[in-house]
Amino acid sequence: MTVPAVDIRLYATLRAYAADRPSVRAEIEPGQTVEEVLRAFGVPVEQARVIFVNSRAAAPSHPLQGGERVAVFPAIAGG
Amino acid sequence: MGRIYRIDMTDLQVRTEEAAGSYAGLGGRALTSAIVADEVPATCHALGAENKLVIAPGLLTGTGAPCSGRLSVGAKSPLTGTIKESNAGGTAAVNLATLGIAALVVEGQPERGKLYRIIVSKDGARVEPADSLAGLGNYAAVEGLFEEFGDKVSCLTIGPVGEMGAGAANIAVTDLERRPTRHCGRGGLGAVMGSKGVKAIVVDPAGGSRVQPADDAAFKQAANKFAAALKEHPVTGTSLPAYGTNVLASVINEAGAYPTRNFSEGQFEGIEAISGERQREIILERGGEVAHACSPGCTIKCSRTYVDKDGQYVTKGPEYETIWAHGADCGIDDLDAIAQMDRIEDDLGVDTIETGATIALAMEAGVIEFGDVQGALNLLDEVRRGTPLGRLLAAGAEVFGKAYGVVRVPTVKGQAMPAYDPRAVMGIGVTYATSTMGADHTAGYAIAANILGVGGSVDPLKPEGQVELSRALQTATAAIDASGLCLFVAFAVLDEPEAMEAICGMLGALQGRPFTAEDFAAIGRKVLLRERAFNRAAGFTDADDRLPRFFKTEKLAPHQITFAVSDEELDQVFNFEE
Repeated sequence: MTVPAVDIRLYATLRAYAADRPSVRAEIEPGQTVEEVLRAFGVPVEQARVIFVNSRAAAPSHPLQGGERVAVFPAIAGG
Repeated sequence: MGRIYRIDMTDLQVRTEEAAGSYAGLGGRALTSAIVADEVPATCHALGAENKLVIAPGLLTGTGAPCSGRLSVGAKSPLTGTIKESNAGGTAAVNLATLGIAALVVEGQPERGKLYRIIVSKDGARVEPADSLAGLGNYAAVEGLFEEFGDKVSCLTIGPVGEMGAGAANIAVTDLERRPTRHCGRGGLGAVMGSKGVKAIVVDPAGGSRVQPADDAAFKQAANKFAAALKEHPVTGTSLPAYGTNVLASVINEAGAYPTRNFSEGQFEGIEAISGERQREIILERGGEVAHACSPGCTIKCSRTYVDKDGQYVTKGPEYETIWAHGADCGIDDLDAIAQMDRIEDDLGVDTIETGATIALAMEAGVIEFGDVQGALNLLDEVRRGTPLGRLLAAGAEVFGKAYGVVRVPTVKGQAMPAYDPRAVMGIGVTYATSTMGADHTAGYAIAANILGVGGSVDPLKPEGQVELSRALQTATAAIDASGLCLFVAFAVLDEPEAMEAICGMLGALQGRPFTAEDFAAIGRKVLLRERAFNRAAGFTDADDRLPRFFKTEKLAPHQITFAVSDEELDQVFNFEE
């Protein structure tokens, strides 16, 4: 049986928590929240200003089932 | 009160007046739009003698206020047919302000085929023949001007495309390193300058002095408070200096709103190679510069210096919009190729948003394939040579799309959309549709609340709340553009009340009277209503405040969504009075 996992993408200053890799596979327990997964990477949750789960904005409390793409950004803007 | 120099290109004479009456106390976009609205017949041809090119520093420019070195240039736009204010950094605004100049107004028209330069100094302004500059790119043109006038001057120049009178032509402004890298990019104002026979404007700051606020002690206190607020905010204090404007590429792509291959998809598979994160790595690996200031007194430093594999200077940035327009929109995932195109376009004097979007249309039309870097470079060579194909490209996306029978043409009022798909960020769609400038992200940057969680939060995928959001942002932006502040200060202002208090404190101390946030908003409302009245007189109606139909009929992946703000709602954006 495959272990459920998500594709974690940390951006800008948060990328340092993923050893500067654009994308990291993280195994999860179904129902684990984004916040819990981020904590495992050492990401200070208050710095996770914008979160997308499968391209939709999500809260840190969003539960994951496995197979999702999770993108996390600090406070950024530009244009 | 500043001086206005009226430079009449018909008789080559300069008249000086005080900025009095209804122009007194105005700066930046408020002044350029007031002069254009009052003095330019709305139905005139933008390249005719009746149009006027107005160049103005902002109210706070030259005072030493942080991030206050922005330049406004206004005219009737040959690209959109609307009023236009195009805004740039560089050194010219500060140099004009310290000479006590509120505006340069370039009027009339000389004999066709003649080229001139305008020299502005403490002694006034004068017009001189400049036929020897004909056909020069911006880099070569400014090199000669700095040699002749010294390192301290600022140059505003047009490239060969401005001389051709093409709709994508912009005006280059030199930066602190004397390079022509900052541009009044949008709306074809380079073609207006070219139509006046003006190749270059040189501003010599010698003998100028700091703009003196009425209450200097209070001013300095407010300016310090403002500087601290910019430093403390994570966007203006950390992410913009570290990653530049292209920090946005990844987040807009993750949101499914990154227009790819001419707005046919919302995510680009080659994103990582052109992201802000990768751009920073490349620049640092090669010894380029991050955290670079584009104008004097800039504390945010979102610009960068891009170098090639041998460490040689290529161009500034490139900026987010430029990287998108030549990257995802063209299916190109090569940052070096994009930087090369940015350099070429800065030299030709064309707007990188309009030009990238037009190259994408050439790809859609089958002139070249999506992703074809060499093909894109060949097209830019057509532009440089002024061939019939090159002229169609330089005329902008709408003209090119018509000529090649393209159905999916992402323009509003003749101006190409920037790097956010309005289906997946509906607030910016409201701004594109209703702005007085045509499709323009800076006119009301709804991305802040739609995507970035700055200045509140409004769901980007639903129509609710977008009209109110865009209206508030369009109003605030018009006021910021009048102040001479960089629009990026808004990220701190939207989140931190003390930043807004500091701006009011500076404007009050400058003028020696109480100044409130409501006074600031009133400036914005007045500017917008004046611009809108000009556009109405030029023949624009509510029916022009619309996105192209395909945004309502073609679903965008990954959200499979169409633009859902109704026409009736769009017509409510300007339902306010002064």
